[in-house]
Amino acid sequence: MKKFLLFVIAGATAFTIGYNANLIYFSEDDRYPEQPINFSHKIHAGDNSIPCQYCHIYADKSSVSGVPSVQRCMGCHKLIKTDAPEIQKLKGYWDRQEPIPWVKVHRLADFVYFSHKRHLKANVPCQRCHGDVASMDRITRQAVFAGIPYLRVSNFKMGWCLDCHTNGAREFIGAPVKNGQDCWTCHK
Amino acid sequence: MLNRRDFLKLAGVGATGAAAGFALAEYSKNPAAKLIPYLVPPEDIIPGVANWYASACMQCGAGCGILVRVMEGRAKKIEGNPIHPVNKGGLCARGQAGLQALYNPDRIKTPLSRTGERGKGEFKEITWEEGISILSKNLLDLRGKGESDKLCLLTSPIRGHLDSMLEVFMKAYGSPNYLHYELFQYENLRFANKVVLGQYTLPHYDIANTNYLLSFGADFLTSWISPVNHSYGYGHMRQGRDGIRGKLVQIEPRLSLAGANADEWVPVRPGSEGLLALSIAYEIVAGGYYKGGDAQRWKDVLNRYSAKTTAPLTEVPEQKIHSLAREFAAAKPGLAIGGENVASYENGSANLVAINLLNYLTGNIEKTGGVILNPDWVKKSFNPISTLAQDAANGKIKTLILYNTNPVFTTPAAMKIEQSLNKVPFIVSLSSFNDETTILADLILPTHTYLEDWGDVFAEPAAGFQATAIIQPAVNPVFNTRGVGDIFLAAAKGIGGNMQKELPWDNFGVFLQDSWKKIYERYKGAGITEANFKDFWNNLLAKGGWWGKEARRSKSVQNLSPAEVSANLPSEPARFDGDDKEYPFYLTLYPHSVFKDGTGANLPWLQELPDQMTSVVWGTWVEMNPITAQGIGIKDGDMLKVESPYGRIHAPVYLYPGQRPDTISIPIGQGHRSYGRYADGRGANPIELIPYKTDAKTGAIPLNSTRVKVAKSDMSGRLVKLEGVTRELGRNIVQTISLEEFKNMKS
Repeated sequence: MKKFLLFVIAGATAFTIGYNANLIYFSEDDRYPEQPINFSHKIHAGDNSIPCQYCHIYADKSSVSGVPSVQRCMGCHKLIKTDAPEIQKLKGYWDRQEPIPWVKVHRLADFVYFSHKRHLKANVPCQRCHGDVASMDRITRQAVFAGIPYLRVSNFKMGWCLDCHTNGAREFIGAPVKNGQDCWTCHK
Repeated sequence: MLNRRDFLKLAGVGATGAAAGFALAEYSKNPAAKLIPYLVPPEDIIPGVANWYASACMQCGAGCGILVRVMEGRAKKIEGNPIHPVNKGGLCARGQAGLQALYNPDRIKTPLSRTGERGKGEFKEITWEEGISILSKNLLDLRGKGESDKLCLLTSPIRGHLDSMLEVFMKAYGSPNYLHYELFQYENLRFANKVVLGQYTLPHYDIANTNYLLSFGADFLTSWISPVNHSYGYGHMRQGRDGIRGKLVQIEPRLSLAGANADEWVPVRPGSEGLLALSIAYEIVAGGYYKGGDAQRWKDVLNRYSAKTTAPLTEVPEQKIHSLAREFAAAKPGLAIGGENVASYENGSANLVAINLLNYLTGNIEKTGGVILNPDWVKKSFNPISTLAQDAANGKIKTLILYNTNPVFTTPAAMKIEQSLNKVPFIVSLSSFNDETTILADLILPTHTYLEDWGDVFAEPAAGFQATAIIQPAVNPVFNTRGVGDIFLAAAKGIGGNMQKELPWDNFGVFLQDSWKKIYERYKGAGITEANFKDFWNNLLAKGGWWGKEARRSKSVQNLSPAEVSANLPSEPARFDGDDKEYPFYLTLYPHSVFKDGTGANLPWLQELPDQMTSVVWGTWVEMNPITAQGIGIKDGDMLKVESPYGRIHAPVYLYPGQRPDTISIPIGQGHRSYGRYADGRGANPIELIPYKTDAKTGAIPLNSTRVKVAKSDMSGRLVKLEGVTRELGRNIVQTISLEEFKNMKS
């Protein structure tokens, strides 16, 4: 009996270790993926304080915030830093009239109806869900804690949504979200 | 302490656990996804926000207005246009399934030219330039030989400016052979309307405001003329007016959906509906309900149809005929309509004249709640398809252009249209699908669906006034196809000379605008308020069409001469081929509720939609009365061989109490040989059973014109239906009580 318990505990521990080992050391592509162009949000949103919606133009109009069009990038980079190697890559895409195949980082389950527009209307800052993008060179869903990349910015799970819908929302609209706990608010 | 064995076990458990944990984490990772931005964002598109385009539905001829929901250039949903007077926001299953016509994997994706033997379906892909030049070269050659009149253009009935463009094309080319064909194109009804109402155009049947609807085999809720409009009207007739609930009497041998909604179902003997109508007419005149001065003359004409004489022929009791006549005449307004079932007999046009006469005698023409005439714009009677088959067989057609029509599937095998068409040296088909007729073509030029093209519809019969709808491209073409108007304009350019002079437009969209400019100029200030054409056109596109009471031209009711009408009345029940000993059952065919004449069979949504009356999906079924079936040892779902003197089909039986014991019915629509993966090889085509006869007056081919016999078939097949058993099986679902018990009950 004792031996059996030992096996169970050993198995469970090993399971946890295996699971977390994957998340910590083998998940870079998933949570911290390399992008086709080494675009830095830190330079744009941080150092140069460009507002998010200057590029993500649909955020206040639509459920999606919109990936900037290649034309929008070129709007500035026809003139700015044209000799930098990453900008050369951008120019390459533009010259070939090819869209840039960005890798998706944040992902919400497809059975959730989420609208950027509603959240912007309620004055929720982008950073609340996307993390401090202005300090990220490369967009990531992970944070570094005590030297170990582990905690996520947000896990996009239902509990996390509801937490804000009930308590966190006071911060922005002074009250819990109206119908914020209703199934049909997010699951249509 | 651990011994070696346990240590190994522990190591094993640990390794397995760790591997499982690793695998779970790996499994729960997001699938790799890319975010592909626009190169240059289109101005009118916001990703995630839908654009709604107002347009018109072309899934049948009713001309309903639709709104197409388009997300980032892809059509996602079709709804009814709430402000369009024909459908008032409603849209039927067929209209909803329009998306599956657009995205259908069996669409013809590029121009094709025949390589193999005709009908074998072997084609090679060619470019549009090649396709157009083959067509124009053929037309040039034909004209060069002085045989322009040997060009024939056969299309589905087109109710819009495309029709006038094709007329110009054919006239400029020098051929009179521009024909429309569709299985249900109401030639008989048009003929009857010409006789009684004085016009070929279908009138508006004001079901909404009538007090008494006498429907002779008109399944107006599923398939007849404009079902969405009728359904709306039906709801209003029953429940839309305070204190008035219109009565519906359905007269038909097989209970349709309309019949199931009726207050009374009169299962008349197949083929004698016209006699019943005349008998009612006689009783109306004899009962003194007809107020005209020529009552005596009508009485003389109708004398031979007294209830006493017709009761045994129609198998409707004399009493019933009297009460129908009384009720119909007293209900003001009342409305009598005759549907496809009545039109599809050998004496179909005569039956419909008789039914129209009921409206005339009770004074319900041009009355709210009766028959409301439309502007008369259908100029000619339709040339019957039988003429085309003859001409083709006799070598009078050298080049045949087909658009959106499938006569091979919808004409009786006995007519041998396929053999006739095979004598035509050059066939061009403009079609979205490689159907049974298109597969015979030498050149296939694939057309846009209505969601990708420009166009317009002048709804017939509209809504008591003219109602039009504009078709605008809601999405970019999905495949390498072209609009049918553009193909003809390109061909005209290829031929050159006077053709190009008559048809100088660059594309059909421009032609359409020019045509609407004429309407604008004509009705400006009289129904059109916009100050300039540009505003009018923009509003047209935004609203989805143009309509209004202003567009109605008043029509006066013509006075009928009893003697003249009498020449067009049925004198006996319609004949059915086959000896009644050998072939004991009447056969009646009816359009399937959503496939209609079979054009809907390639849309999977419609295939899996249970029929309203039987709940059958995916196949053809044979409806038979349960008592008849019991008598000859047939059980529900048995595979039957249905045989007429002209052919036989195999299909499972559905026992249907709403069926006269001496009649069996089969829906049309399935049994395709070449119509794409969703339609092919499903069910059977009952048109193979019917003889090749024509209505003496109109040339229409009757569907209900043969008797059949049935036997158990040795072929395998299954009846797939949604419903369970229709019997109670002691489940006490419907609780009953005898009259005696009821009388003794204490309240």
